[in-house]
Amino acid sequence: MSADATVPPAAGRGGFLASRTALAVAIIAYTTYTLGPFLWLATMSVRTTGEISADHYAWPRPFHWEQFRIAWVDSDFATYFWNSTIVVVTAVAVVTLVGAAAAHALARYRFRGNRILYGILFSSIIFPPQITLISLYQILVDYGLYNSLLGLTLVYVSLQLPLTVYLLEGFFARIPQDLFDAAKMDGYGDIEIFRRIVLPIGMPAIATTLILNFIQLWNEFLFAVVLITDPDKRTLPIGIRAFMGDHFQDIGMIAAGVMISVVPVILMYIFFSEKLIRGMTAGAVK
Amino acid sequence: MAVVQLSKICKRYGSGGPVVVDNVDVTIGDGEFMVLLGPSGCGKSTTLRMIAGLETISSGTLSIDGRTMNHVPAKDRDIAMVFQSYALYPHMTVAENLAFGLKRRRTPSAEIERRVRETAAMLGLVPYLDRKPQALSGGQRQRVALGRAMVREPMVFLFDEPLSNLDAALRVNTRNELIKQHHRLASTMIYVTHDQVEAMTMGTRICVMNGGRVAQVGKPLDVYWNPADTFVARFLGSPPMNLFTVPLTGGDRVGTAAIETVLTRWAPAALAPLAGREVVLGVRAEDLHLSAEAAGTAAAGRIRGRVFAVEPLGAETLLAVETEGGTECTARLPRDTRATVGAVVDLFFRPEAAFIFDARTTAAIPASPLPGGGPSRAGAVH
Repeated sequence: MSADATVPPAAGRGGFLASRTALAVAIIAYTTYTLGPFLWLATMSVRTTGEISADHYAWPRPFHWEQFRIAWVDSDFATYFWNSTIVVVTAVAVVTLVGAAAAHALARYRFRGNRILYGILFSSIIFPPQITLISLYQILVDYGLYNSLLGLTLVYVSLQLPLTVYLLEGFFARIPQDLFDAAKMDGYGDIEIFRRIVLPIGMPAIATTLILNFIQLWNEFLFAVVLITDPDKRTLPIGIRAFMGDHFQDIGMIAAGVMISVVPVILMYIFFSEKLIRGMTAGAVK
Repeated sequence: MAVVQLSKICKRYGSGGPVVVDNVDVTIGDGEFMVLLGPSGCGKSTTLRMIAGLETISSGTLSIDGRTMNHVPAKDRDIAMVFQSYALYPHMTVAENLAFGLKRRRTPSAEIERRVRETAAMLGLVPYLDRKPQALSGGQRQRVALGRAMVREPMVFLFDEPLSNLDAALRVNTRNELIKQHHRLASTMIYVTHDQVEAMTMGTRICVMNGGRVAQVGKPLDVYWNPADTFVARFLGSPPMNLFTVPLTGGDRVGTAAIETVLTRWAPAALAPLAGREVVLGVRAEDLHLSAEAAGTAAAGRIRGRVFAVEPLGAETLLAVETEGGTECTARLPRDTRATVGAVVDLFFRPEAAFIFDARTTAAIPASPLPGGGPSRAGAVH
């Protein structure tokens, strides 16, 4: 092909530029729409509640960085952060490990009741989790796990496990059977195959469920507020809620708390984003 | 190296499910290259997977070097397998793929390194040792799959249609490479394919399977020249053997108005019980000629029909002919053959090139030993 053949005609170039401009405008508008509230919150986190009340949208002048110190030290955000970390990291670790093993078993092994088990798991995704709240509350009370981080962790595991198994089963089922057979011929047993073949190959999907579960549980409010009562066992979302009174809301402190709480989510996303995108687009191309 | 013995092996899925492998009884000798050949769904891959330990055996006995293997896990059978899809671990480099099986066997790392290097050098894979499988071509992946099997130095090699994903040229190269490696390793190899050319060129013996059963086992040319039934006769050979259902009019003649031949390979007494019944006459495409002289005998059998297709292939010409009875047959003729569609032609063949099968059972009716030895089957071919 000659070089000339690759140059679009003038009319074609104009159309191409117009379409690219329209796309750029649409992306900028969407980014502003989604990022705007976050930036507004970020500016509020370094302003006092008095300043915010005086002018909701003003630029911080001066920047009250001490708000973060006050939130972290004086308002027990360090405790809430630590509680959230313990509960969420433990729950996500258990969900990922158990979910991956269960998904592998459902995807790979033919056993009686396989599809029934899968159907039960799938049905639990369909119903809203809120309907289980009262029964879970009663179960935790009966077993002495109410108002404990362990109880909340177990509830989080039960909430996220079905979706995790569902997502991973779909991915694992697409791993060719020949790979498992080849590993068996190479001398490996079932657990070794899971560890050395399934987990590395399934890493994009595992990273996807890991980050989705982390975000979901890190921001979870309803179950935490019902199942935890002690102030020293609060997780971050409940801790932030504590700044809201019936007559007064410390908006500046709430904004600082929210900014602290989103840091781990952003870090998680940065760390796993490449694998997340690969997991979400798995199977899109051959 | 090992002797693999399959005794009345059956495979059935579920208690009332279909029998996919039925009473397979084959012994594969030490260092032999056995090819399991058959169409899709004939049970050849299932048989291979039972040998590998990847499928359970419903009944019968599998033994390797006299040791019963029915309940020995795949990982403990000391068998290596090359898969149709190559089955390379995508997250590992070529070197890691090759070493994976050795690591499991606690082979010292220096020994692993040596064997990986040696195998890679043998297969021309040294420049690719640090690459992942997705960065390799189909042929290179195939060689890695072969290397992964070779590096372990197993008792038995299994191949499940390993060439079917390669293009035609690469298939020929890899086929030759496999033959070379078999001669070098002198290991017992069992190879599954539906490609009769692979079977004929590679196998020490071939085992033709049909509907889960063994149709015939033998050396490639023996099976080609002495097919056990019409299935084997048609499956081996391209184009397939021409078959005509015709009455046996006497102890020494078979045919209709369109097909006439004299049976010289069968003693009249042997055919007497079939007199008056229909039999299936078989003639291979390469044994059909446009004149009795070309067939090499004045007493040639004759098939009359109308040409409905002419396929000039360069090295040869295929002539498709329909007889008066509506049976289609193909003749493989010299490349300079001129024929027109619609023309009526007579195709001639030496009586020695004919095969007779029982029309009811499809089994071959063995030729009788003729006084003085008689003409050989191979002698009928030019």
